[in-house]
Amino acid sequence: MSHIDLRHITKRFGSFTAIENVDFRAEKGRIHALVGENGAGKTTLMRVLFGALQPDEGEVHIGSEAVRLQSSSDAIARGIGMVNQHDSVIPALPAWRNLILGAEDGPWLNQAAVIERAEALAKPLGFEFDWTAPAATMSPGATQKLEILKLLWRNAETMILDEPTAMLSPADAEGLYGTLRQLAEGGKTIIVVTHRLPEVLEGCDEVTVLRGGKLIESRPVAGLTAPQLAEAIVGRSVEAPELTPPNLGEENLVVENLTLGHSLRDVSFSLRAGELVGLAGVDGNGQRELLRSIMGVLRPDRGTIRLQGLNVTKASTRARLGAGLRLIAEDRYQEAMIASWPLVENAALGQHLRPPFARNGRRDLAATRVAAQAMAERFRTKFVSLDQPIGGLSGGNQQRFIAGRALADGGGVVLAFQPARGLDLAGIDDVYGALRAHTRAGGCALVVSFDLDELLAHCDRIITISHGELRVPAPEQARDREAIGRMMLGEEA
Amino acid sequence: MSGRARVALVLVVVALALGPLFLTPVPPSEWVPELWGSSFGEPRGWALTLRELTPLLIGGVAVWLALRAGLFNIGAEGQMLVGACATGAVALAPAFPGQLVIAIAAGVLAGALWALPAGALRTFRGGHEVISCIMLNQLAFLLTGWLVKGPMKDPNAGGATTKMLDESLRWAPIAKFGRAELDWALPLGLALMVGLWYWRKHRVGGYELEAVGTNATAARFAGIPAEMVQFRAFAMSGGLAGLAGALLVVADQNRFYDGMTSGKGFDSLGVALLAGANPLALAPSALLFAALNAATTGMNQIGIPKGLSGLMLGGLILLFASASQRKDNAHE
Amino acid sequence: MSEFATFFTNTLSLAVPLVLAGFGGLLSERSGVMNIALEGKLLVGACAAAVVGALTGNPYLGMVAALVASTVLSLAHAELTQRYRMDHIVAGMALNLIAIGATNYVSKLEQFSQTLSGVVRVPQAVLASIIVVLIAVVMAVILRGRGGLHLWAVGEDPVKARLVGLNPVAIRYLALLGTGLFCGLGGTWIMANASGFTDGMTAGRGFIALAALVLVGWRPLPLLAACLVFGAVQSLQLVFQGVPIMGTVWPSEVWAAMPYAVTLLALAGFAGSTKPPAGLGVQ
Repeated sequence: MSHIDLRHITKRFGSFTAIENVDFRAEKGRIHALVGENGAGKTTLMRVLFGALQPDEGEVHIGSEAVRLQSSSDAIARGIGMVNQHDSVIPALPAWRNLILGAEDGPWLNQAAVIERAEALAKPLGFEFDWTAPAATMSPGATQKLEILKLLWRNAETMILDEPTAMLSPADAEGLYGTLRQLAEGGKTIIVVTHRLPEVLEGCDEVTVLRGGKLIESRPVAGLTAPQLAEAIVGRSVEAPELTPPNLGEENLVVENLTLGHSLRDVSFSLRAGELVGLAGVDGNGQRELLRSIMGVLRPDRGTIRLQGLNVTKASTRARLGAGLRLIAEDRYQEAMIASWPLVENAALGQHLRPPFARNGRRDLAATRVAAQAMAERFRTKFVSLDQPIGGLSGGNQQRFIAGRALADGGGVVLAFQPARGLDLAGIDDVYGALRAHTRAGGCALVVSFDLDELLAHCDRIITISHGELRVPAPEQARDREAIGRMMLGEEA
Repeated sequence: MSGRARVALVLVVVALALGPLFLTPVPPSEWVPELWGSSFGEPRGWALTLRELTPLLIGGVAVWLALRAGLFNIGAEGQMLVGACATGAVALAPAFPGQLVIAIAAGVLAGALWALPAGALRTFRGGHEVISCIMLNQLAFLLTGWLVKGPMKDPNAGGATTKMLDESLRWAPIAKFGRAELDWALPLGLALMVGLWYWRKHRVGGYELEAVGTNATAARFAGIPAEMVQFRAFAMSGGLAGLAGALLVVADQNRFYDGMTSGKGFDSLGVALLAGANPLALAPSALLFAALNAATTGMNQIGIPKGLSGLMLGGLILLFASASQRKDNAHE
Repeated sequence: MSEFATFFTNTLSLAVPLVLAGFGGLLSERSGVMNIALEGKLLVGACAAAVVGALTGNPYLGMVAALVASTVLSLAHAELTQRYRMDHIVAGMALNLIAIGATNYVSKLEQFSQTLSGVVRVPQAVLASIIVVLIAVVMAVILRGRGGLHLWAVGEDPVKARLVGLNPVAIRYLALLGTGLFCGLGGTWIMANASGFTDGMTAGRGFIALAALVLVGWRPLPLLAACLVFGAVQSLQLVFQGVPIMGTVWPSEVWAAMPYAVTLLALAGFAGSTKPPAGLGVQ
């Protein structure tokens, strides 16, 4: 009998089914990995187990007893604890106060007693803390350890860790798995949500693979090879459509040795006029920082960026936009548009200083309307009036408008962050079709997507990023789905 | 916010503004006509309202400018006071050519300089402009108070005031309607407002200001130097508040005295909040605040304490703020 | 020696309202509610103490009225910022306007202005003991209590605080209740040292307290120290009235300006640490 037994779990958000009829079991004393690509349903499933989400169908059994978890407090009462991807440690508070926050045993805090019990929990695991120093001074690894102690403080028997190594150095990650092994040997049930294959193969006992919200397989790790696992995660390749070869021209964007903290490490690549390049990788591996550095919104520590032959490493975002750089930004509401503004005002954003939007500092409202109309029609944005706030459109229609804006004036270098997000199939084809047309007309584009199949289907070539390191597949592997899949998961090709 | 909560707020504000009137021995048959007469109903009311209107309008323009850039210029009171004081100082110096223009320019400059530390702290240090503005306001009260009790004081006057300006340095009224005087400051204020409206609608500078104030991140991605835009807007806001103070001296009071702005800078925040996104709404908004101030001044003379204006204006600000909050939430 | 004793007692007396308003502000801002309305809350307290004390002839009823009046204003602040999700600055400014207006109105009403001449005062010793006990208790809760931990957590990051099971909105209401009580006591103290209620008699003490709070980076023990120092500065102002220092008689405004000037310098990074609670002003 498994300690944790989820049966036939289905969870829908509106018309979207996040997980469908998924079974999941985990034993005491074992480390269980839950793997899959972004959007595979891993976190949703674990939030069901943690009581943060209620399933539409299916049952949750804990210790062979059927339970209904109405909230996280129910789950905590049943000995379930979860460490979220984003930590819950408050930097301004000392470690010992963070440890007990929300689980104090009385109206007065006894620092000495807390630290004594905390030490008793920490020592067997080999953890050492400066309990009285603010958590802000702790390394990401130490923060992670504190999160685990928080679960132990609350007497958790089952511990769920969502992407626990995302922020950790390789050495810290290794140490973490040592700790988890020790906890498992002490009788705890450990569940790790991850997308990093080496961790699964080296650190875990069991593995469950989800893809597209469905259970693919659940099996012991022993005897499993990396290629087998990668294949299970990304699935069999679909036949990529025939792409016309690009007519390559000048190098329009050259990035050399770009380094930014731990996010980007010596990233070098170039885009030539005429090509559409896909940047494959799992979310959070440096894509965001790379695009922001190229835009000039983030300042890299070192490296150079050349745009159409000009060194723009030190140039302002405004100057880069003037030199023909365009962005289809990731976060529509924060970065790409001003939600409360009408479409017509959003149309000018970024190019508002230049014709047709303005001349000599004076705005040309008539020309702006004409341009806005064209942007909206480019990808068939559904709207009532150019004067309606863009925030009132559906996400897909917002994205159509924004893509229309970025591709409005041809030429130039387009950076696109998940441009197809929120679009239906026709919309996806529209956007990639436009990006292709843009490149075939002499422009170039770099597309970030977490969906490898989407990139394989539409891009001329693919580069990968993992842990801030950019890699270019060897020519013979340029369209090898599994090889690229392994590269983006941090494996050797 | 639910509809019921909103109704409750309206009721509380109405009770705050009108309830106190029934605590006085003055019967409604007296205060109702006075309320109307001293604001719009009679020429003397118009005279009072017009006098109150100009500084509130220009102050409103000042605060509005900063507000659209996403900054609270709660320091308008201090900037206005320092502006008035600087104008008074230059205007009372021995005569020299162009004195009037330079006096007004000094007021504008002083207001801008008084806003500068708050703008710089916000832009370069991330310090909240409201905290530094509160400190700067207090410093402005103390500095101008000391000046007008000491070096700038009219030795022949009992109170803390300067001498009257020379006739040649006063702005003569353009027109007189009975006791109501219309001076050049009001048309200037209206021109500023219309200018701001034009700038906002037709110049890229106005577009960038609005972008930064609405969504600074999106503005940065669109290549707009958000910090610089905010810094400039704040300095200009201070300069305009200084202008409001300067005109108070040359066009209205013709002297500087201790605490002469008497909360007009704070009222300007209410004027700007009420006007919302449209600068042309600053005029009716300032008129409402001016009329309320005039009405309570008039009612003070028949025995209703002046504090009523604070209750009314504070209540109004709460109502507008809750209404605009609703609009913002609608986008989420 | 007696001169020193006078200076010492003056300092304490002048520092008390700063300490009370300062701790009121600490509770509010540590919970995440930006509070520029301390001045108004002090003023309302002083006025209520004067009016009710004079009307009933009982200074303790006056004190109760002060506590109630300040608390009502403070809970209104909580209501506006938490339920109506109003901007903390706008709400605070409007409440200050209302406080100035209401106190002027009430104190100038004919039926009260007569009686107001008959001031009754809570004996300082009684008031002082209440204040000492209260500050000690609150200090203990903040530094060593569960309540203080929750207050800190909510003000630093309401989202994370919710994750560990706290209720940020409820904690903020409680914090603002405390702010009201402190400011009510502060108003009572100011009245107990005055000859009657006058407009704006709090004379910026709420803003000095805010300055102290910012200056010390929102920390309780340094806050106590800063309020005492600011009280001493005000007291020195009395000592050096008309007495030349370094050959000049410094105007009283120079002394009065010190707290604000020092705080501005601190904000500019030239003194102290002014790191605010990370969640201050966040809904």
